[in-house]
This record gives sequence, structure tokens and C-alpha cells, in this order.
Amino acid sequence: METYLQITSVWGTYLAIAVFVLGIAWRVYEWSTTPKSPVPLGLFPKPKTGAGRFGKMLKDTFLAPHSARIEPRMWLFAMMFHVAALAAFVGHLRIIQEYPLLPQWLGEDGMNTFAAWAGGIAGTLMMIAVLYWIGRRTFGPFKNLSVPEDFLLLALLLGVIIMGNHMRFFGHVHAETYREWFQSLLAFRPMLPDEIVHSNVGWSLGTHMLFVDLLLIYFPFSKLVHTIGSFSANLVRSE
Amino acid sequence: METQQLTTLAGVIDKKMNRQLKQYIDICARCAICKDACHQYVGTGDFKYLPARRAELIRQIYKKYFDKAGRFVPALYEARDPDENLLEELYESTYACTACRRCMYFCPFSIDTAWILSVAKAMLIAAGMGNEMLSQLADAAIMKGDQPELFRDVLVSGFKDIEAEVREITGDPSAEIPVDKEGADILYVGLAGAHSIRPAAVIFHEAGASWTLSLFESANYGFFLGDAEKARKIADRYMDEALRLGVKEVVITECGHAYRVAKIFHEAWSGKKHPFRVRHILEVIDEYITDGRITVDPGSVKGAITYHDPCQIGRNGGLFEEPRRIVRALAADFRDLTPNREQQWCCGGGGGIVAMSEFDEDRIKSGAKKVEQIRATGATIIAAPCENCRLQLEQLRDHHELDLHITPIMDLVVEAMPLAGTKAAQA
Ligand code: HEM
Ligand code: SF4
Ligand code: SF4
Repeated sequence: METYLQITSVWGTYLAIAVFVLGIAWRVYEWSTTPKSPVPLGLFPKPKTGAGRFGKMLKDTFLAPHSARIEPRMWLFAMMFHVAALAAFVGHLRIIQEYPLLPQWLGEDGMNTFAAWAGGIAGTLMMIAVLYWIGRRTFGPFKNLSVPEDFLLLALLLGVIIMGNHMRFFGHVHAETYREWFQSLLAFRPMLPDEIVHSNVGWSLGTHMLFVDLLLIYFPFSKLVHTIGSFSANLVRSE
Repeated sequence: METQQLTTLAGVIDKKMNRQLKQYIDICARCAICKDACHQYVGTGDFKYLPARRAELIRQIYKKYFDKAGRFVPALYEARDPDENLLEELYESTYACTACRRCMYFCPFSIDTAWILSVAKAMLIAAGMGNEMLSQLADAAIMKGDQPELFRDVLVSGFKDIEAEVREITGDPSAEIPVDKEGADILYVGLAGAHSIRPAAVIFHEAGASWTLSLFESANYGFFLGDAEKARKIADRYMDEALRLGVKEVVITECGHAYRVAKIFHEAWSGKKHPFRVRHILEVIDEYITDGRITVDPGSVKGAITYHDPCQIGRNGGLFEEPRRIVRALAADFRDLTPNREQQWCCGGGGGIVAMSEFDEDRIKSGAKKVEQIRATGATIIAAPCENCRLQLEQLRDHHELDLHITPIMDLVVEAMPLAGTKAAQA
């Protein structure tokens, strides 16, 4: 167990973060050094001012109102996934540093209960959305359009989510213990708290991190770069 | 195909690379949200017409040759060579695309599939698979630009015939169709054929405009072909004429793609800013009506009328209200199509597809949505500025036996004008 965690949750994590950061930097560098086409590709009607364009870009990117009109169900699941993923991301920040205020209001137990609910809901919604996406890709034009990359990403995501949910729903380890582990990584003095290693979620943290590592490593080389590319692409819409 | 040739063909992507294209290739989620945006996919159900699928073919080649991850694990992306199989599908999905950019409107990342396909066209041309018909039409237009003296006399005598008609229509024997008039305010660029010149000449005459007619037509088959060099040369013909005559503005006839070429593409292609403005004839007519330079009878159009936004004038050209204002000024019963304006369905006739008979069957099928829209309004007249749209609408009408009169807006305007002439506006 110790060795497995050492591989996926210490050294693998370092490797994954390094590849992710460098990979994204490289991707952004490639994009920004490729000359823009001189032909403006915007659609009408266009906002008249720069601020208007920027606002429209943010709205189009975060709310995708046009996609909502044409395929409301897909929009709903995509929204569900992305909002839940954002919530999960914010929740994970707790393992770097506890939030100010909230624990004082709720008390330590209250905070853990709140996190259990919030994390549980986010994890469940993400799982439902990913299962929907996988299901959608098994028939008709969606299947024909899919390539192995799509399934690989969805499988990795599902792995991350299921193992995360396992820790959330079946584990008794709380954020402060994970924080000890993660803080030690950040301080470059990695250690694995016994409380995790010897708990029933030791292997699920190891596997959660295995999928996270793989997802982060593949991220910059996959279509997931839409996370950053969608902003500039949607800006082009009104140029 | 030999390796050497495959590499050369794939290299076209690299040569044509630009930031937008690169991002479009990298970020598409293959979510297929675009599928129901495309009239061709919706009308035929044929997978090759699904917008993201059309782009996917270019992505597959890009992954195989230029993308790090794709070269490392090609199987992950179904990366492929531009071999005969691929090129055959690419030919159909690319030349069928009407570049209506409705898919771009609905895509969560605003991916411009038509822009990706402009590379596909360059690759097909490099493979000797550019569309023959479009290519011949483009070359003929360029030849006309290179040797205008061969065509000039025939053209001008044709213009004289139209001028005679304009005199009868307006009842003014001094009405003219000026050609090569230096210092005129407007250079009007029509199409080959009197129908695009006669009504414009009447309107310019009645408005007392200072104008001159271009020797060249604004239609641009180089644009449809996907050869930017040829397309620029074709547009250069009248742009150079405008420079030579020192006009204040170039006014393009009702045609859709010609307006977009002149207004949006030409400056980018030539790398030079125009010292004149470019407008669409409907912008000009709208201004004449608003300013009272021409008068129109508000009840002139009898019956329910609707308006079709040609993609290159609406979503891709930015004119939504001008045409509607004109139609409303002439008609008591105006009914808009649903959806309309930037969400307007493509009629299926754009992108030069009406000139390519191999797509006839799918083209008619792809008009299903348009027919549905028109039926829902109950209109018996449809105003459609673009000539390609009108050709398509006429065939849809015949195919579906619709009771529908299809007309350019200029003709409606001329019919609504109180003119002293004895001759009706319609030939
Ligand atoms: C902010 C603008 C964004 C938009 C408009 C957007 C849109 C989309 C869309 C349409 C899909 C397609 C789902 C499918 O059919 O597979 C998708 C998938 C996905 N997105 Fe986003 N996204 C955005 C940002 C992000 C961000 C910030 C993340 C970071 C975690 C993210 C992660 C994912 C993941 C993991 C998938 C699933 C990939 C797959 O289906 O294989 N997205 N997104
Ligand atoms: S809607 Fe956009 S992102 Fe989705 S498959 Fe179509 S082009 Fe790709
Ligand atoms: S531009 Fe129009 S015809 Fe071409 S793929 Fe998109 S929706 Fe279809």
C-alpha cells in the first residue's frame, strides 16, 4: 500500500503536475506564436466596443446560450458537469489551506458535514454527466464521430470521479489529514500520514491519484485544452 | 498514392496554418452539438455532412503529420493519410458545404467549420481534385479581367440595350447607364445579366445618384472554389476599376457571397485598405427610402410576404434590418421566418453548390428546413436578395409544389415606385 501511494500520490503527482504545467505552457506558446489569419472570422451581429466583445465572449464561454437552444439536454449535462467540476476544484483547495470564516461559522463538525454534502453532490453530478456522455457516444452519429481519445478521457474522468466518491462516501478521513499529505508535497518533504495509509481509503486515494496523474499528463495534449482555447475561439466570434 | 505525394498534400495544412485554425483543430470536443445546425446534415441524415465530421478529416491528417501526440499515438485520434479514400469523402463534404456558418453559431467554442474547410479546398486543389466547374468559371472571370478589351464592346452594347429599357421604365429619355465615368460617387457592381442592372439603374436614376456601372460582375467563383489567389484576382477587377475612377463607394448588387468578398475578405487578401467604402445595394436603397430620395407606394406588395436572410448577407455580412425595413415599406403583410436573422436556416443553395450538379439530389433534400419555415408563415411571396438563394428556392418550390413567388428586393422596389414610364419594370 505504501509503495502504491508513493508511486501515484507522491512521485506520480510531481511528474503529472510538471508535465501539465509545461504542457499547457507549450500549448499556449504554440498558439500565441502562430500568426492570426488576416481575415476576420466574426459572426454578426457583433458588439461595437471592445468591452462588449469581451463580455459576449465570457457569456458565450461560460453559459453557451446558443448550444442551450439547439440541444438543451446536452447543454444541461455539460453545464452540470462543468459547474460540479468547478465546485469540486474549489472544494479541493481545502487540502491546501482551510477556508477562512466558514469553519468558524459551522464549527469543525459542521464544516465536515457541509463538505460531505457539497462534495457528495458535486461528485454524484459529475458521475451522472460523465455516464451520460459515455452513453451518448455509444450510438448513431455520436458514436461515429467519437475517436479513442474521447473514450480515454471519459474513462480517466470516470476513474477519478468514482475513486473520489469512494473516499467521500466510504472513508472516514477528513480534509485536515489529506492536507498534511498535500502540504508535505508542496513543501517538497513528501510524507504519507499513517491515518490514510492504514485506512479503508488508502487504496482509493492511490487509485484516485493514479487517474488524476494520467489525466493531468494527457490533458495538454488532448481536446481538454478547450479549457483555455474556448476563450480565444469565442472572442474570434465577434472580431 | 506515394509517400511523397501524401506528405506534400498534408503539407498544405502547414502552409495554410493560422492561429484560429490551430485552435479549432485542437479544441473541438466532438460533442456534435453542431449536428442539428447544419441544413445538409438535417436534410439528408448523411454522416459525412455532420459539420464536425467534415472538420475531423482535416484533423485526422493534422494529427498524423503535425501534432506531437498524434504522431506518438496515431490510433488515439484515428490519424490518417490524405489518401484517395479520405480525399473522396473530403471532396463531397467540403464542396457541398455552403459556408453558411450556422454550425459556428451554435458551437460552444464558435468553431468555424467553413474556415477549416477552406484548407480542405486548398488541399483538394493541390491534389488536382478542385471542383472542375468552379475552376472553369473562375478562370473565365480572370481572363475577362486580363483582357477587358476583348469583351468591352459586347458588354457596352448590352448596357445600351438595358439603358433603352430604363428610359422606357422611367419615362426619362435622358436616363443613362454610365460606364467608366470618372469621379462618380458610386461604382455599382452587378452580375452578368440585365436583371441585376436594370432595377438598380432605375433606382439610381430616380434617386439622382452619381454612379457608374462596373464592366465586371461581382460573382466570385474563385471564392467558392477555395482558391484565395483566384478569388482576389476576380475581385481585383472591379476594385482596381474603383481605384482608377476614384469613386467614393463600391456598391455590390443583391448577391450574397459577392458582398462578403468585397466587404470582408478583399482587404485581408490584398493587404491594402480600401480608400472607398463598400456597401450592399440594399443598404443604399434603405437609405434612399429613409431620406426620401425615392418614394415607394406602401401598399404595393399584395399578399403575404416573407424575407429570407441569405447567410452571407445576414449572419456573415451583418445586414438584418435594412432589407426588412425596405420590405416593410412596400408591404402591408410582412411575416418573418422562424428562426430568422442570425439564426436563419441556410436555403441550401450557397457556396457555389448550385453550379455543381453532382450535389443536386442532396441539395434539394437540404432545403427541407427552408420549405418547412416558408410553409409555416403562409406567405405567398418570398424576397430573397441572393441569386444563389433564389435559384435554390425556385427548385424547392417546383419540387414541393409551393405556391410561391420568389423575387429580388430591387424588383419590388421598382414596382412600388411611381414612375412616368410606359413600360412595366419586369422584363
Ligand atoms: C469554460 C468554457 C468551457 C466550455 C464551453 C466547455 C464545453 C465543453 C463541451 C461542449 C464538452 C463536450 C462533452 C462531450 O461531448 O464529450 C466538454 C467536455 C469536457 N470539458 Fe469542458 N468546457 C469548458 C471549460 C472546461 C474546463 C475549465 C474544464 C476543466 C476541468 C473542462 C473539462 C472538460 C472535461 C473533462 C470534458 C470531458 C471530455 C470528454 O468528453 O472526453 N471544460 N466541455
Ligand atoms: S459543436 Fe463545436 S466543439 Fe462540438 S463537435 Fe461541433 S465543432 Fe466540435
Ligand atoms: S457552414 Fe453550413 S453547410 Fe457548412 S458545415 Fe456548417 S452548417 Fe453545414
